[in-house]
Amino acid sequence: MKLDTSGLESFAPLSAPIDDLCPDLSAPPTFDLPRSADFDGFQKDAIQMVKPAKGTTTLAFIFKEGVMVAADSRASMGGYILGPGLYYVDSEGGRLKGTRFSVGSGSPYAYGVLDNGYRYDMSIEEAAELARRAIYHATFRDAASGGVASVYYVGPSGWKKLSGDDVGELHFRYYPVAPSPTEQEMSELSPA
Amino acid sequence: MSIFEYNGSALVAMVGKNCFAIASDRRLGVQLQTIATDFQRIFKIHDKLYIGLSGLATDVQTLYQRLAFRHKLYQLREERDMKPETFASLVSALLYEKRFGPYFCQPVLAGLGDDNVPFICTMDCLGAKELAKDFVVSGTASESLYGACESMYKPNMEPEELFETISQALLSSVDRDCLSGWGGHVFVV
Repeated sequence: MKLDTSGLESFAPLSAPIDDLCPDLSAPPTFDLPRSADFDGFQKDAIQMVKPAKGTTTLAFIFKEGVMVAADSRASMGGYILGPGLYYVDSEGGRLKGTRFSVGSGSPYAYGVLDNGYRYDMSIEEAAELARRAIYHATFRDAASGGVASVYYVGPSGWKKLSGDDVGELHFRYYPVAPSPTEQEMSELSPA
Repeated sequence: MSIFEYNGSALVAMVGKNCFAIASDRRLGVQLQTIATDFQRIFKIHDKLYIGLSGLATDVQTLYQRLAFRHKLYQLREERDMKPETFASLVSALLYEKRFGPYFCQPVLAGLGDDNVPFICTMDCLGAKELAKDFVVSGTASESLYGACESMYKPNMEPEELFETISQALLSSVDRDCLSGWGGHVFVV
């Protein structure tokens, strides 16, 4: 059987004329490699270094009015929004189309709240509140998520930021503390 | 993640004028997941002696139970409370007994000795004592705590000021650590 070796052919001509006007045309495609004695080890270390950098919670979902996107402030987005569609894309080349996604170390907690409260017919305010709550609950349980819950709406006329609330403040808004009778009180320091 | 970072903890103790303060965070987690926000890490041995234990939560609880047992026996035999220095040696010995299979805990002791002289010390998981005159720290937030205490501490503080200082040092340090937080417990004696 004759093997097809066309893929092994080099694109560079055997005698390359030195042409100052377009030097790249005749040169074979190349890219710089790092100067390292152990390139495989270097690649492995680089991958290991970014592995923990997925501590975050992000989510996005499609509903009647458009697309709602929310994230905590320790975030790096893993979802890409295309028109009325929603795609999940990851660094390993995976690509999925869907209506609800959550990405990051806090995503299981966000999914719990998102899946429970999701309806296609929601108003923008309801959808924003669902997104906000889902991020808040994820920041409560996940140590690697926290800070500010930002909520964005994407509609026919473009995107708009709806809110950016500190999750610490959201905690007391959702679970207000009933004032309990004080057992002991610190007295005010008199000015020295 | 090391075994000491499995549950997450933050502990600090400070010396004031004839008083001491000991404070801890309240989070109990399993790696990144938060399980409880009211976990107790500081325990009373007697009115003038408190021990805080950071590190693996199961060892925190077991070690406290063993130490409480030993102190109660001492109280029955000697008919008095243990001095903080003596208790520190007891903790150190108990930890070193497990030299080749240790408790994954780093204790912080705080007490008032004779004439109400404040005493604080910390130990590593094998019982190496470190006495200090100003403050001691322990836990996953220990590096932040060192910085915060170093800048906020001054000697001979009265109890009210000591309370403010130790609280602010604890809160600002745990804010920079994912594994500890969710409020604090502060004891001022």
